[in-house]
Amino acid sequence: MPRLCDLQQAFAEAIVEGKYQTATAAMATDRIARRSVALYRGLIRNNFVQVLRITYPALHQLVGDSYFGVLARGYIKKYPSTSGDLFLYGRQLPAWLQCIEAPPLLVELARLEWACHEVYQAADSAPLALEQLQAMVSEDPSRVTIQFHQTTRFLSFSLPVHRVWQALQPDALLDEIVDLPLPEQQTGVVVTRREGRIQVTPLNWLDYRLLEALSQGASVASIERFAREAESGFDFTRLMTTLLNLQVIAGISVKEGI
Amino acid sequence: MSVQHPAPIPAQAGIGLRAHHFREILDAPPPVAWMETHPENYFGEGGAPLRILERIRSRYPLSFHGVGLSLGSTDPIDHAHLHKLKGLIDRFEPALVSEHLSWSSVGGRFFNDLLPLPYTTESLDHLCARIDEVQTILKRPLLIENITRYLTWQDSPIPEGSFMAEAVKRTGCGILLDLNNVYVNSVNFHLDPFEFLDVIPPEAVQEIHLAGFDHFGRLLIDTHGQPVYPEVWGLYEWAIRHIGPRPTLIEWDTNMPPLAVLVEQATQADAILGGCHAAAL
Repeated sequence: MPRLCDLQQAFAEAIVEGKYQTATAAMATDRIARRSVALYRGLIRNNFVQVLRITYPALHQLVGDSYFGVLARGYIKKYPSTSGDLFLYGRQLPAWLQCIEAPPLLVELARLEWACHEVYQAADSAPLALEQLQAMVSEDPSRVTIQFHQTTRFLSFSLPVHRVWQALQPDALLDEIVDLPLPEQQTGVVVTRREGRIQVTPLNWLDYRLLEALSQGASVASIERFAREAESGFDFTRLMTTLLNLQVIAGISVKEGI
Repeated sequence: MSVQHPAPIPAQAGIGLRAHHFREILDAPPPVAWMETHPENYFGEGGAPLRILERIRSRYPLSFHGVGLSLGSTDPIDHAHLHKLKGLIDRFEPALVSEHLSWSSVGGRFFNDLLPLPYTTESLDHLCARIDEVQTILKRPLLIENITRYLTWQDSPIPEGSFMAEAVKRTGCGILLDLNNVYVNSVNFHLDPFEFLDVIPPEAVQEIHLAGFDHFGRLLIDTHGQPVYPEVWGLYEWAIRHIGPRPTLIEWDTNMPPLAVLVEQATQADAILGGCHAAAL
């Protein structure tokens, strides 16, 4: 009799690689042994396809059930689940789509959807306290850096992919029309969560670069300097207002003076 | 959150809590005694799922029905997973916590499905050690559920009921008796369901699951996508008469119907439970 770990390994080989011989030899000698393994194979694969459909609903809608199934099955073969928590499954789909040279729209849409997926269950953050906001305003901006909520992701794309994502949301306006192919256009968005709902907000390209730099630890003063170098007469107050309206600031840090 | 202690689950019918029905449940809480959910759906650090579960917990006793521990696997227990589960149990204080008598991973690869163990002394020793480990970390007894299987291992000399009874005896765990699984296995493998039901210790059964199945050729598949079949209701009536009234879950995971259908099935289970209470008086 195979030991339990050998038997589980043999069953895994049958499921993953279709090598049925060892697993079926360990099964009762009835005619359905091979069919049983095939059945489990199908159930397991369909379960993962369903998980990917839930995680990437806009991509699924865009390409349709049949083609999504083809993509999902290819991904499942390459990337097995490594956790009992299926929320984590599908993380590498955008990279895999890029690897198989899928159209850029699919790659970028998948990147956006994974970010939305992560943000949906990211840790809650308390709103910024008024005192912290006042401190930010009164401090020397060269010493101030901003921390963002864990429910914030800055993403850049080579296409305005957020328009496709938006049009595929359940609450999208019926007359929302997006012409394809999308034009090549550097696009920056911020993904946030407000009252449990995911929001994808497009930013103009310079605003995006500035806010992304802030999110990576650049000081407020360095951002302001960069903005004015990039665009004379840049309205920095408008940018800060945009940032406050996004409600993504978790806190501020003030570097000690030397 | 205001919950101070686990609200006990009465010997009445409850329903599975699924995202499909969140809105409906929050808007008009249905007249059921309790709810059960898969804890893995709330493993995230924040967001709407946890807030919704808090609201539901403030109104209903909860049962946690895990699907991801891979109890029978020969891989080491995933302690990160187990500690997430522990954190969630500490936060929501479910009255019951259950897992499956199955395995779902090997060599670090997860199939996220409930795969059958061979019922051998090796499997029993292994499973009991794992249940002990989980119960020690969770600091509470676990219920283990009998699963549907679509194969029979050649070397599986211990009858399933005896295997579960021995696991209960050795570890002090309880049993979640899934009567749909008992029925599906009995049809697929030409077994007498009462050979299983007669052997499991009645006092260990702390929860019952009822669900529907689908036909796949001559095989029955445990899809949780149909109403409870009359044959399963028949087994349930027998079980309630012989085991006694137990918290009973209407389990539905695919082909989701309106919430009212689940509530109607729960009412049907309550009528059987009520009949048993009345007979006892």
